[in-house]
Amino acid sequence: MSQSPILKISHLSKSYGPVIALRDANFEVLPGEIHALLGANGAGKSTLVKILTGVITGDLGVIEVSGKQITFTSPDNARKGGVAPVFQDPALIPDISIQRNLHLTGTDKSRFLKEILAMGLEVDLNKLASEIELPLLRMIDLARALSHDPDLLILDEITAALPVDMAEKVIAIMGAHKAKGKSVIFISHRLAEIEEICDRATVLRDGINVDTFDAAEGSEERIVAAMLGDKNLSNTRNLNRVNKASSEVLLKVDSLSGGKLLKSVSFQVHKGEVLGVAALEGQGQDLLFEILAGETKPAGGKIVVNGKEVTFNHPDDAIEIGISYVPGDRKSALMPQRSIRENLALTRMRGLRNWGQIKFKDEDEKVDGAIRSLEIDTRARSQVKRLSGGNQQKVTIGRWVTTGFDLLLCFDPTRGIDVGTKGQIYELIRKFADEGKSVLLFTSELREIALACDRAIVLYEGKVQANLEHKDCDEESLLNAAHGLAVKK
Amino acid sequence: MNMMLVKRQSWNIGIVLIATILGAWQISRLPVFGSYEARTFLLGILPIALLSMGQAIIIIGGGINLAIGAESVLINCLAARFMVGKSFIACVLLTLLFLLVSILVGALTGLIISKSKIADIIVTLATSFILIGLAMYIQPSPGGGMNLTLAQMISGKGSAFLPPLITLILPLVVIWLPLYRSRTGIAMFAIGSNKDSAFLSGVNVDFTRIKLYAVGGLFAGISGIALTAITLSGSPFASISNTATLNSVAGAVLGGVALSGGVGGLTGPALAALILYFIPTILLNYGIDPAYSQIITGALTILVVLAGGLIRNRGKKN
Repeated sequence: MSQSPILKISHLSKSYGPVIALRDANFEVLPGEIHALLGANGAGKSTLVKILTGVITGDLGVIEVSGKQITFTSPDNARKGGVAPVFQDPALIPDISIQRNLHLTGTDKSRFLKEILAMGLEVDLNKLASEIELPLLRMIDLARALSHDPDLLILDEITAALPVDMAEKVIAIMGAHKAKGKSVIFISHRLAEIEEICDRATVLRDGINVDTFDAAEGSEERIVAAMLGDKNLSNTRNLNRVNKASSEVLLKVDSLSGGKLLKSVSFQVHKGEVLGVAALEGQGQDLLFEILAGETKPAGGKIVVNGKEVTFNHPDDAIEIGISYVPGDRKSALMPQRSIRENLALTRMRGLRNWGQIKFKDEDEKVDGAIRSLEIDTRARSQVKRLSGGNQQKVTIGRWVTTGFDLLLCFDPTRGIDVGTKGQIYELIRKFADEGKSVLLFTSELREIALACDRAIVLYEGKVQANLEHKDCDEESLLNAAHGLAVKK
Repeated sequence: MNMMLVKRQSWNIGIVLIATILGAWQISRLPVFGSYEARTFLLGILPIALLSMGQAIIIIGGGINLAIGAESVLINCLAARFMVGKSFIACVLLTLLFLLVSILVGALTGLIISKSKIADIIVTLATSFILIGLAMYIQPSPGGGMNLTLAQMISGKGSAFLPPLITLILPLVVIWLPLYRSRTGIAMFAIGSNKDSAFLSGVNVDFTRIKLYAVGGLFAGISGIALTAITLSGSPFASISNTATLNSVAGAVLGGVALSGGVGGLTGPALAALILYFIPTILLNYGIDPAYSQIITGALTILVVLAGGLIRNRGKKN
């Protein structure tokens, strides 16, 4: 460590209301190094990058670039300060030409073309950004960043879903940038890449940097260990549950594809089974749930329910055959200004003719039953928006209890919910399974898979990477599969 | 490459085609068509074409200004009230002053929207009432006037159709072209197209929006001055401003500006004003109630928005 760092972050913290995204993070990048920044979902990576690129400002802490203390107030400001980011979603304006996009950021055209030429690519500057395919657009964004000759290049998930030849180009560019004595911060979910191209790696967990080390061969295990922390130990319990699910198949999904992310997904859900879905962000899981709920139409593949192939034109079609969807965004599912009762009874209205009378007595019984079985805190019953996040989540699940279902699609039901309520929600899901219902559960917290699920599938780059029995659903296996690595048996 | 250009200009080409057909139809029904009739055409479209251009700038930037008709009426009333009986020089100076006022009114609207984060339609719907109220205060009943020499420089006289043509085209050349080429112009498309990407590209979103509302206000001001020159009076009526606002939105949308923002130009809206002018005139010639032409303009606006949405959706799928 004889060199002085090009970037030094000390004691950086940032919170959004009660949620702490970064608490006392320290991070150093040396000149001429490729530094990997790693961490599980919600570890604070994206917050750190946002602060570094001037999108938001930190609450506390010091950022020094080349020894000078600095606060970036806008992305433009950061770019002028020598920090240039390239994100997974290119920051190019879709409706204007590449030329005008370059003009907007004050990028020198000939320098940009030189960078593009060096990549072995061709770009028509008169094309609109929206007319260009995503991989090329990302390379254009990268070339634009390079044209500003940044001291520090930040590449956030740039290789995700990039074709191999392009990914190789990106890696070559990083090498060239390093050779010039400049530095790169590289964020990737592909651990194999990290070993291959990075000099050092820093792992974040719960908003703190937990480990920094030389990224040599075999550091995968150290990375995974650092990402998991002591959670590793708490994982042994609950692994011996007997799978009581029947052998009867309720839902069969066959090479389902759609959108840009979902390539070919096949799996089965048995009756009375909770099937877990694990994946890092952006592997197509959102779309999978939307397709199964009838919100979005798939591009290809088959959905078979109870032995019959089905197509959904509207969420109502899915509800009709017993598939109910609890979306990840509670706000989109609830009517926040209305009462618990109305929210719970909403989906029951489906059965009514438009002008029919509501049977209030029947409704009361069902609603009260749901409130009891879900243990919803009813002190703020007049307006759902005044309930805590956990209770809101229970209401979104509870409305399907009042209506009835065969398969419940739960998308990240415990995001941002306290531990106690989490436990209640998982108990509820287990209870459904015991009653012979099936649940498809996506959760971003991998260790919760083992708590609630009978089996799990892991999605990676739009495909099923692994099919795990309950005993294999430990966090390490899931994390490995989610990063596209083979699961050690 | 050439195909791409044609594809991108296809909307404008379509507008020119429709306007030409309608124009030919209308002209064929006139006993004579000379420069006098050409000037009548131009005077008919001038205020609304200018207003559509101002609206287009704001819509391209991702907003919408429901007070743009009221801004125009306010300037119309200001001009008619204070220019009546004044010398040519005084009227020219007052014109400049009132255009400055229109810029400030626009900028203030933009400032309120940016800082309050309240939706454009709410803020501008409210300001339209304020502006019409001001106009009624300034010029309680139709009247006033303007120095005749200045009026004729703006709107021509007899068969002199060049002055109104210049009044129509000059703002395009002097305001729109430099704006389009400037960084603010790119920022205008950027914030309308994708606000987050624009921010990441270093655009000051709030300031850009204020500037766009100011330029939109300037166009409304020019429209108001032109209206004064044509009618030689000021009319403080909300009905005028409401119709003008709807027509400005219809003109902008017909002219190829996407209501979702980020797409379009000003030539299209200027041409679309021709269509909006021809339809009621032709219907009137056939003895159809003018009320129907209002219905048709309204229905046409909806149809065009629908068609635009469909075309764009298809583009996205490919």
